[in-house]
Amino acid sequence: MALRVEKRFDVPRWMDWGLPLISFALALAVGALLLGLLGVSPLKAYGEMIRGSLGDGYGISETIVKAIPIALCGLAVALAFTMVVWNIGAEGQLVAGALAATAAVRFFPLESPFLMIPLMVLVAAAAGGLWAAFAGWLKARWSVNEIITTLMMNYIAILGLEYFVYGPWRDPMSLGFPLTPTFHDAARLPQLFGTRVHYGLFLALLVAFLLRTALRWSRWGYEIRVIGQNPRAAAYAGMATSHHIVLTLFLSGAIAGLAGMGEVAGLQGRLQPGFSVGYGFTAIIVAWLARLNPFAILVVSFFMGALLVGGDTLQVVMRLPLSSVQVLQGLILFFVLAGEFFRNYKVCLRRREDA
Amino acid sequence: MTASPSLVDLRGITKTFLGVAANDDIDFDVRAGEVHALLGENGAGKSTLMNVLCGLYRPDRGQIFLSGQETAFRTPRDAIAAGIGMVHQHFMLIPVQTVWENMILGQDGFGFVLSKKAICRRIGELADQYGLHVDPEVPVWQLSVGEQQRVAILRMLFSEAKVLILDEPTAVLTPQEARQLFATLRRMREEGHGVVFISHKLDEVAEISDRVTILRKGRKINTVRTSGVGPEELAEMMIGSRVVPAVNKRAAVTGETVFRAQELSVLNDKDLPALEGLSLELRRGEILGLAGVDGNGQTELCEALVGLRRLQSGRIFFNEREMTGASVRDFLGDDIRYIPADRRGTGLVPTMNLRENYVLRHYWREAFRKGPFMNWEAVAGQTGRVTERFDVVTPSLGVPVRMLSGGNLQKLMLARELDGNPRVVVAMQPTWGLDVGATAFVRERLLEAREKGAAVLLVSEDLEELLALSDRLAVIHKGRIMGLLEDPRRATEETLGLMMAGRPLTSPKEGD
Amino acid sequence: MKKGLLLSLVIAFAVCFAGSAQAFEAVAPEDLKVGWVYIGPVGDGGWTYMHDKGRVAMEEAFPGVTSSIVESVPEGPDSARVMETFVRNGAKVIFATSFGYMDFVQDVAKKYPDTIFLHCSGFKRAENVGTYFGRMYQARYLSGLVAGSMTKNNVIGFVAAHPIPEVIRGINAFTLGARKVNPDVKVKVVWLFSWFDPGKEKEAAKALIDAGADVIGMHADTGSAPQAAEEAGVYVVGYNNDMSKYAPTKHLTAPIWDWGAYYKYTIGKVIDGTWESDDIWWGLKEGFVDLAPFADDVPQDVRDLVAAERARIVDGQWDVFHGPVKNQKGEVVVPEGTAMTDADMLSMNWFVEGVEGEMPK
Repeated sequence: MALRVEKRFDVPRWMDWGLPLISFALALAVGALLLGLLGVSPLKAYGEMIRGSLGDGYGISETIVKAIPIALCGLAVALAFTMVVWNIGAEGQLVAGALAATAAVRFFPLESPFLMIPLMVLVAAAAGGLWAAFAGWLKARWSVNEIITTLMMNYIAILGLEYFVYGPWRDPMSLGFPLTPTFHDAARLPQLFGTRVHYGLFLALLVAFLLRTALRWSRWGYEIRVIGQNPRAAAYAGMATSHHIVLTLFLSGAIAGLAGMGEVAGLQGRLQPGFSVGYGFTAIIVAWLARLNPFAILVVSFFMGALLVGGDTLQVVMRLPLSSVQVLQGLILFFVLAGEFFRNYKVCLRRREDA
Repeated sequence: MTASPSLVDLRGITKTFLGVAANDDIDFDVRAGEVHALLGENGAGKSTLMNVLCGLYRPDRGQIFLSGQETAFRTPRDAIAAGIGMVHQHFMLIPVQTVWENMILGQDGFGFVLSKKAICRRIGELADQYGLHVDPEVPVWQLSVGEQQRVAILRMLFSEAKVLILDEPTAVLTPQEARQLFATLRRMREEGHGVVFISHKLDEVAEISDRVTILRKGRKINTVRTSGVGPEELAEMMIGSRVVPAVNKRAAVTGETVFRAQELSVLNDKDLPALEGLSLELRRGEILGLAGVDGNGQTELCEALVGLRRLQSGRIFFNEREMTGASVRDFLGDDIRYIPADRRGTGLVPTMNLRENYVLRHYWREAFRKGPFMNWEAVAGQTGRVTERFDVVTPSLGVPVRMLSGGNLQKLMLARELDGNPRVVVAMQPTWGLDVGATAFVRERLLEAREKGAAVLLVSEDLEELLALSDRLAVIHKGRIMGLLEDPRRATEETLGLMMAGRPLTSPKEGD
Repeated sequence: MKKGLLLSLVIAFAVCFAGSAQAFEAVAPEDLKVGWVYIGPVGDGGWTYMHDKGRVAMEEAFPGVTSSIVESVPEGPDSARVMETFVRNGAKVIFATSFGYMDFVQDVAKKYPDTIFLHCSGFKRAENVGTYFGRMYQARYLSGLVAGSMTKNNVIGFVAAHPIPEVIRGINAFTLGARKVNPDVKVKVVWLFSWFDPGKEKEAAKALIDAGADVIGMHADTGSAPQAAEEAGVYVVGYNNDMSKYAPTKHLTAPIWDWGAYYKYTIGKVIDGTWESDDIWWGLKEGFVDLAPFADDVPQDVRDLVAAERARIVDGQWDVFHGPVKNQKGEVVVPEGTAMTDADMLSMNWFVEGVEGEMPK
């Protein structure tokens, strides 16, 4: 007997929602085993995790706060992935957006929030977009692999951020600490109902809606889907692939740039290093788990946010070390991603034909 | 010539994929000191047979004898150990490593400590012996394609292969490099190696091989001494006998020339010349057939004619209007349509549904747009109408087209390309791989387009089809037209075979 | 003196103390939950490890008090959530152990006026927010004396986390110490732009050794630089805690923290109900900072010199940044006979003479 892996020609419908659920349950089961070994009641631990992230208004609000940048970056990379352009640089584009928004506050501090915030949105989107579009141009013009360029440009953006906060933009009142001055009130994104959920939420919802509409209904969306799924057919249909690579990466980067603006204007009110904790990378997993569907990205981001927020509660209440919390989070992701494998392949037993 | 002993002998090899016999009861042997050509069209089963020989596939039935001893290869390593080496079209070298490092890759028989000096010395000896000069210190990626092939061959000699299989080795080479390769092959023959030379190029087979085995549709047609047959005979064996099937074809009402290609020169994907000054004219209401052995520039010609491939030189006219350098969209706008041979790879998007595939070449038209949005309602309506007219069988218009059968895929593509009022239709291998019913359907539609006044260029490897449908018939060889027959029905096998083997038509109006 | 610390800054930043300071009621140890927000993992063998040792010392001193921790909290909006999670799970006192949490401490403290927040190394206070830090520069100065005595090339390398006043002050004190015994010493600085990055720390140390340094000093959170020094066979001055286990034969000494002293002091006051917002900046005298045991290689005369200098600092007659102090260009910044103010020390952003390295601008 031998195990064989075969590609599925046809994916049963129930798998779309059934597989993630089964994977999730399996992850919890294995996690429970580990928790048991640590001498912790798994039920209580899971209960705490849910209570901390979804148990009350505060937990939910914090989960949403965490989900906003993940969702925006997820939408950003999903757009590029739809065209099978691997934008691994959402992190850098997010930083570029945050830098541009900070620059807007520094050099054009408008009094009215109705002018200031649109200006910040605009420059953040433009900066993130240009950051990504440069990689797109290199790909379109010289066939430079965008995985490498977008990845490397992350580091350039992060080093640029450090240059500004340690150097010319450092708050003179910060005693030499790397912080920009706090933004004036007009440059703060309003927060909702006394929570930290800021207007970036509406940006994420709006972008998801626009993306869904554009991909499904617009000619542009049709074109980039064709380019992604069969570039030769796209050439055969007379589509301008190079042009689309640059434009799509621009839009992708622009969305990530919005995430950066949301973080500085919605949460921090100033720029400081390390404000992004790898949202641009988390976004890649999120986009895949959501199968690039914009609405599913919102849901998966929320789930991701809950996982991260719930992890804090585990440390605080159950007094578990961070590493065990990370193992638990890793297990869940691992199982859900592994479930994807069974969606695309089936494993069957086969008798060997010969001895 | 007395036959020298067989190094390896395949008997009754049968290998089936998904119910289709890629090899059906094939015998094949390689003797010491010979170049044995394996000739056949794409899909004839050449690669399958050789993959059996080099241990990649295991045959469903049949035996392999090594110097008279029956044996079975479980893995390519077994075959290599038995002295059988294959140089694939993709050389399977590690680009970042140097030539000498590639030599020892995956080979046993080296101690823990490698003697680079000894390896390089051996490379030098082999290079001198076989004329395969290459610097052992250079990383492979810095080498030209021809040099990389030399490294791949050297690697086989290095592992002391007695039987060398070369899979279409000249496809990637310039003529000069090909000449060098042939010199190497002759040396190998002198040294007593057995060489298998896979090709579908008749002139090369005639030049280099001692014997030739012809495969067609998974079956062996014959094994003959090369010196005993002419290229035209080989072509005939490769392509098959011609029985003109009955096609209900009305007499041509041929009109004026609508489409003209002048002196086209284009490169293939490997940047080697594919067309060299080719000229062609299409007339209103006719089917111009284009015969030729696959790989002689047909794909590149079709792509050049519809704006998909850049011209190195030459000009294209539609109704006396110059189209040289125009975009795909310009050609489409003039209703110049194209049915590519590669349905799943080029002609359709397998993961998309019927509506999205129907509109692939029309999506920019006014009828299917609403401002920046697609008018999917209009698309659905039109897709419904044409799929019905073209008899596409599908559970719904919303299923991905990869679920459709080959025949239905082709019908869908025809529905798209022949919809409306096509003025020029370039159709490449439109019936390839289809069953009898679908084939007949496709042929009828092409005739219908012709009757409606379209100028059709039909590229096919199927001579029967060409003879049945064409009003005029041209033969292509190495990117040039070998001749144009004004009345294909009166063409003889010899004439066609000669032209396909690369001999130009002597009397310009044969058949008149 | 401590109360007057940073007066100007308090005015500029801190939330105003309206009227009398708020009194926090006494609590029974059994009812007291304390939370720690850590910048790195407890296993970093340095900064966070020492805080956690201090936490454990506090737990031992006050049986009944519950403490919990969250590790590796980034200096961003996430830290606010962590602190709030502590509060919502009953914590009465929260220690935030990194500078970058400052704004977020303020935000959360405003929301929960009944909870006490203590922020390490920051400068913003409120009625329920105190700050604490140690005069590490004093211990660094002493370790500089040792480093300056042991170098033969007169080149000392320094692996430095971030170009912020805390680190700069330490480098300056270390350099002043080294040059006191050996005026030819140069201190070469490499910036990491990270507190916790074992790989980078090791690489930086190696680079400095390649550049000729035969003693390595450091301000980073892990034992990677000492490991690199041990492997290369050069001396190293650790940081945070006795790092001799990372460099068993080459670890000269290390300026170290004893956070337990402060944590016990503060929790004691909370239990008594006597805690008020304060700004703690303790030094050698209070035992907040100290030196790890010397390596065998350190000669007796150096040990004696260190002891003498320590005595001068502890009894208050002299401190590290007493004039004359020159900057890199050789200009006198602190004239003879004057002492640098705490405010100037806390915002130090220039190097003293003898440091080779640039401030990122």
